[in-house]
Amino acid sequence: MNKAQKTSGRSLWQRLLILSPLLAIFISLSAGNMDISWDRLLTIFLQGPGSSIEQVIIWEVRLPRALLAGLVGAALSLSGVTFQAVLRNPLADPYLLGVSGGAALGAVTALTCGAQSPLIIPLAAFIGALVALLLVYMVAQAHTCSSHTLILSGVMVGSLAAALLLFLLWRAPADATRQAIFWLAGNLSLADPDWLSWGWLWVLIGFLLLWSQSLNLDLLTQGEETAADLGLDVGKTRLILFALAGALTACAVSLAGLVGFVGLVIPHICRLLWGPGHRLLLPFSALLGSSFLIIADAIARSLYAPAEIPVGVVTALLGAPFFLFLLRRKGDYL
Amino acid sequence: MIQVNNLCFGFTTAEIFNNLSFDIHQGEILSVIGPNGSGKSTLLRLLRGSLKPQSGEILWDHIPLEKIPTPAMARRVAVVPQSSATPFPYKVRELVAMGRYPYRKNFLSFENKSDLQAIEQALVMTDILPLAERSVTQLSGGEIQRVLLARALAQNSSVLFLDEATNHLDIDHRFELTELMLRLNREQHTTIVQISHDLDLAAAISQRILLLTEHGNIAAIGSPQEVMTAANLQQIFRVDVKVDSNPFTGAPQIVPLINNSTHQLNGLKVHLICGGGNGKTLLRRLHMAKANLTAGPLNQGDSDETTANVLNVPVVQEIPFSPFSKNTLATAGQFIAQTDVLVVTTRWWGAGNLPCLDLAEKAIQQGTAVFLLSQQQDQDYTGGKAWDKIQQLQQQGALPVRNEEHLLDELEKLTAA
Repeated sequence: MNKAQKTSGRSLWQRLLILSPLLAIFISLSAGNMDISWDRLLTIFLQGPGSSIEQVIIWEVRLPRALLAGLVGAALSLSGVTFQAVLRNPLADPYLLGVSGGAALGAVTALTCGAQSPLIIPLAAFIGALVALLLVYMVAQAHTCSSHTLILSGVMVGSLAAALLLFLLWRAPADATRQAIFWLAGNLSLADPDWLSWGWLWVLIGFLLLWSQSLNLDLLTQGEETAADLGLDVGKTRLILFALAGALTACAVSLAGLVGFVGLVIPHICRLLWGPGHRLLLPFSALLGSSFLIIADAIARSLYAPAEIPVGVVTALLGAPFFLFLLRRKGDYL
Repeated sequence: MIQVNNLCFGFTTAEIFNNLSFDIHQGEILSVIGPNGSGKSTLLRLLRGSLKPQSGEILWDHIPLEKIPTPAMARRVAVVPQSSATPFPYKVRELVAMGRYPYRKNFLSFENKSDLQAIEQALVMTDILPLAERSVTQLSGGEIQRVLLARALAQNSSVLFLDEATNHLDIDHRFELTELMLRLNREQHTTIVQISHDLDLAAAISQRILLLTEHGNIAAIGSPQEVMTAANLQQIFRVDVKVDSNPFTGAPQIVPLINNSTHQLNGLKVHLICGGGNGKTLLRRLHMAKANLTAGPLNQGDSDETTANVLNVPVVQEIPFSPFSKNTLATAGQFIAQTDVLVVTTRWWGAGNLPCLDLAEKAIQQGTAVFLLSQQQDQDYTGGKAWDKIQQLQQQGALPVRNEEHLLDELEKLTAA
């Protein structure tokens, strides 16, 4: 294949994938307990919000749900891209540095204390995540340490949180435990729709700030010392990137629990398609991540409707084979 | 341009530098050599500012290193590391473009016109333009080193630090890179500080050499001729070497004396009559086999004489391009009188060296064992006189030997007896 063909092939993919979230939302709107056909969907959509049952379902139930899934998918993918680059580790994901453990501990503490309000649990998860990240950062003295030390400290803080979590679950009443497990597997039905616009604002700002660090991320993939040799203030940059990725993860976790797999695999798929340069990688990871989670959520809602499968189950069942297929086609890309 | 004053540095487990002071001059090529663990790379990282000294100061153009902002420093100096393994499949061109980071004007791109030009130029200079669209994860070690050099060149700095940058390179690219370094140094007055294990190459291209001891002290700093002496190298590297001078460039050249000798002569006294290069390898082999050597008569400047001098073998000398005088022959006779064995390796016989065969005859009469190494009739340019003499010597008891191996076998037997 010559170069011109290759580039045009890539740009076609790019154009298609920019539209992928719209397509995903459309699929998501048509999926669910109540069957709504595609042409009917279009008319309802064009009518705008209203009081008919179909209008309520589309505009007030399914659309916010899809937007929430998109938000969480985008946040996790962005965070995954960042952690993989900063830690120079293709196995890194948003939860590697103890964020998941901290968030889970926060949420489950709130749950076992009997908190039912849709306000308290996300807040507790958010605080838990940030505390864990801060702890890792301080323990490892992350502005000077190597990425291996950082990962090890993260895993240790995560283990500590997991142990405390198990202890809490062991002591908790059965229904709280069941709720906690639901949360741990990732669940998009928990969030209060009022939080949606705040969440999106948060993710949008996070994305723009991260995007402005694209070249810095590229440099950091070459190792701390090389990055410094090329003129990057490594300590400061790493702190900024950490804070941004941590804030995005905390936001996603507090709204949807621990949705796995998205933050690990979407960055890889995007790197396979667009190369490792972060200028393209960040926006496309956000787009693809949100599309992926919207569709995964649509499947999770409709497969056993009216019951819901935990969305983490679907992301892994859907994502792993697709990733393996891509790996086989593209060969040894790392 | 770079001044190091009383530098002290150590890792938690070991002190490396104690009160190190030296200068690096603008526009020079300085090679840092020393045994493994002497802190060569550490020194380079200290000079770059990647490591902070415990005490002492490093000045760049009289400015303390820590006062120079990070991007400004990257415009002053580019580093070519030993190697770089990245798990991310950047294209060669993208990686080289990172060298433009200290010049970037906006958040999302390196690429204005002068950047693109610098990148292209770096790709061409290092001969990797054909690899530009390849992923760095698919390159060989040598190719990656050229990519890293190209990135450093794209940085357009006035100082270049190279940490064993020619390590993985084949001889063609090693030479190309060396020439490239010399060109940068000559045309753009780039100051180059390199760590090298190729001592000969370092001696050939450097204006100055910094030799570090095992404990990070300066053993010597100065011109290659001053620093690369056999005494210095033997002391620091604890190896048996001789320092010769390169016949083409005149730069010091190291002759390793790795003892691969299969024979042991335990101080057997051997005198060699040689000349015109016929004795070079034998001199070396006998030296390795621990024979107690003397040689001559030899004209000064004869390549055998040069070899003998490098090996510290006493030689009976004659002035250049002259027949051997009576005096010289007499001295040689005295040398031979004290030896156990006389070996004649001269192949070509002419009027000038014919008297040497008389020395051999005298030796036989004195009861010294005489060996004649692969003599041939067609190498006689004396009209048959030399060949007749050789036949005569053989009748008197001189032993002909086929080759050096055969000779060494015979000598070893003699030693054992």
